[in-house]
Amino acid sequence: MNERIDMSVEFAGRKLANPVFTASGTCGYADELADFMDVNALGGFITKSITLKPRRGNPTPRIVETDAGMLNAIGLANVGLERFIAEKLPLIAKMEPAVFVNVAGTTIEEYVAVVERLAGEKALAGFELNISCPNVKKGGISFGTDPAQVEEITRAVKKACGSKVLIVKLTPTVTDISVTARAAIAGGADALSLINTFTAMVIDIETRRPVLANRTGGLSGPAVRPIAVYLVNKVYREVAREAGIPILGLGGIRTASDAIEFLIAGATAVAVGTASFIEPDCATQIVGGLHDYCVRKRIASPAELTGTLAGPA
Amino acid sequence: MTQKHESRKKGCHAAAVLSNVRAGECFWKMRLRFSGEAGGAFARFRPGQFIEFDTSDLAIPATESIPNALRDGARRSVLLRRPFSFSDVTVQGDVTLADLLYCVVGPASLRMTTLRAGDVASLIGPLGNGFTVPAGKRTALLVVGGMGLPPIRCLARLLSTEHKDVEAIAFIGARTVASLPLEERPAAFDGGLSLSVPTFATLGVHSMVATDDGSAGHRGPVTECLARWLQENVDRDRESLIVYACGPERMLEAVAQIAAERDIDCQVSMERRMACGIGLCQSCAIECRVEDSTETVYKLCCQDGPVFDAREVVFGAETA
Repeated sequence: MNERIDMSVEFAGRKLANPVFTASGTCGYADELADFMDVNALGGFITKSITLKPRRGNPTPRIVETDAGMLNAIGLANVGLERFIAEKLPLIAKMEPAVFVNVAGTTIEEYVAVVERLAGEKALAGFELNISCPNVKKGGISFGTDPAQVEEITRAVKKACGSKVLIVKLTPTVTDISVTARAAIAGGADALSLINTFTAMVIDIETRRPVLANRTGGLSGPAVRPIAVYLVNKVYREVAREAGIPILGLGGIRTASDAIEFLIAGATAVAVGTASFIEPDCATQIVGGLHDYCVRKRIASPAELTGTLAGPA
Repeated sequence: MTQKHESRKKGCHAAAVLSNVRAGECFWKMRLRFSGEAGGAFARFRPGQFIEFDTSDLAIPATESIPNALRDGARRSVLLRRPFSFSDVTVQGDVTLADLLYCVVGPASLRMTTLRAGDVASLIGPLGNGFTVPAGKRTALLVVGGMGLPPIRCLARLLSTEHKDVEAIAFIGARTVASLPLEERPAAFDGGLSLSVPTFATLGVHSMVATDDGSAGHRGPVTECLARWLQENVDRDRESLIVYACGPERMLEAVAQIAAERDIDCQVSMERRMACGIGLCQSCAIECRVEDSTETVYKLCCQDGPVFDAREVVFGAETA
């Protein structure tokens, strides 16, 4: 059997060791996962969101479990740009995977300021623009649901990016995700990541109050996966394939077969999110499972899987 | 032959279930055995540290053995691991034995009751920071509220073996006698300090019981017992005393206040909803004071705690 599988993929002009990432907000900044897995076995790593100033985040409860999923409303709690540079960047510089910094803010200027400051950092492959966080009052998803704003913020941030890759993360909480995907590409996005979480609510029937202090939270986990696969395929067919823009597919991936579905649907790479909470080394296990699938199916590289959904479109 | 993918799972361990038995109305006790690398890791387990237990692959028990109150919620699937502290840890050479005392309250703990001797459990740990015993302490006042018992019981064991110069006294509170998470129910509690609670008595630790409804021991909050003891022992050097507490946040707040009023050191074991337990999800925020400042910050229960200095914690976030 052919054991020489080329696991590498090209993603927005960067060669990655393999197509498996850990998703923003589920893997810390760099060091948190190192105790539980070999981070250097990943293809890519996306940091927790960074904002210009530190953010406390929301009051608790910040999470609640649902069937095959969970809601979170962390509220972009993070150490802020300065501490990120001082404490986390040196660790990131030692990592082998392509590292993307997830950037959030409440104004376009804040996004641009963070990206400008980090654009010269050699240790970074690029940025992921978070315009889809459902858990903050200003910024986040309010940018991501209006195509005109998506294009404007993408253009402004892209200008500050220099030679770095800009991934724009899309929210599924829109009528037609292809419209926002087109807007991001028009603004200069090098890649798209989808999906962020779905805005959702769980109610405590004893108190008749929402369980989360933030009332609503973002639904993630296996429950969202079939919707995410559909949306990746939709964006791939309607927008990304023709534009030559790669998709980072995510939403409920827990196993290699989940990841492979996303690749077939049109993703060039995939990210593991919620599943890392349960099995911290889930992403690296998926790298192994993906390799085994390629061996079994006699495929030279997982790159060959992208957009190979059979049957009528 | 496929490529071998070695994954480094430093914190993920398998434990053999030695026994798993009902220990009261809604309480169960599981004894776990760690060997090899895990045996070494858990030999270093400190009271107050915790584990994340995976129940997602476990079956729901047969309908007839599901308590009525849980029949509705039991059908929900489980995704996330659940945090637990151990009530006892003993080391026998390369093997470490740990007791997990748990209350059946929802779909995950209900599934845990189906584990039998010989089964294997998946867990991550030891996690977080446990209780510490500062030098110079001569008396440890252990305050338990309901299911806050396990880490305090574990601490009592540590004190009785490694800190023999520290006298431990336990104050054990619960809503009713039935909600005391005790395996062996003694014939009577008189509300006074005695060796009537076997799980502490076997360690030579005197204890006092309080229940909200008076069905056992003192009628009223357990904090009244603590305050009374401090009143009766007001001549003791406050520097030689330390309070350790685990239980509902309201109780912890009251304990912290009693300790603060008398300027006695106090460590509290906190609880929050957690998705991961290892600092990834940022769910388990605890509001903490900043020294010499009116500002507060959120710390993480999983990484910065779960044991905190009581002076640091801003209580009440989840008791409103």
